[in-house]
Amino acid sequence: MFQYFSQQFLLNYWEKTSVMMAANNLPREVNAEQIFGMAEKEMEYRVEFFNKLTHTCFNKCVEKKYKEGELYMGENTCIDRCVSKYQQVTNIIGQMLANGGRPM
Amino acid sequence: MDKSMIGDLDSLPEADKLRMAAMIEQLQVRDSLRMYNSLVERCFTDCVDSFKRKTLDKQEETCVRRCAEKFLKHSMRVGLRFAELNQGAPTPD
Repeated sequence: MFQYFSQQFLLNYWEKTSVMMAANNLPREVNAEQIFGMAEKEMEYRVEFFNKLTHTCFNKCVEKKYKEGELYMGENTCIDRCVSKYQQVTNIIGQMLANGGRPM
Repeated sequence: MDKSMIGDLDSLPEADKLRMAAMIEQLQVRDSLRMYNSLVERCFTDCVDSFKRKTLDKQEETCVRRCAEKFLKHSMRVGLRFAELNQGAPTPD
């Protein structure tokens, strides 16, 4: 799992660092600590996100009978769609929380 | 993931590279252990229901193996789809 997003993630964070440093004229060490802290938190969030996604879609899509060790065609399709929908739900909730989380 | 991934990002200062690599490795270790535990729990819960004997019978053992195999394949597939989504690649409906 880590190979799928780590490189992208690191690139993002280091781009942000240079922007922040340029904007604030702060010593590099101060920003680096903050950036590492944030990076760690975000990575932990992503790991947990991936784990919850995996478990949720397994529960929704895969029969518990385990008649064989392979995934059925129907299960494969279900998994693909489940991941897609899960991401959409994440985006909606994220937007709503970002808008202040006020009750509607 | 291995540390060579960090090596690709040549623009990073060396100390930062090492620190990031250490952090990622720690997260990876923790995640692997968590996956191990949760997979055991899942397959035990789904496959083992009787306690007339203290050893698994053939059926239970086969069930556990299939359960683990299935979950690992599932996990790989989820990883692929997740990566596709993150890169914004169009996916079939």
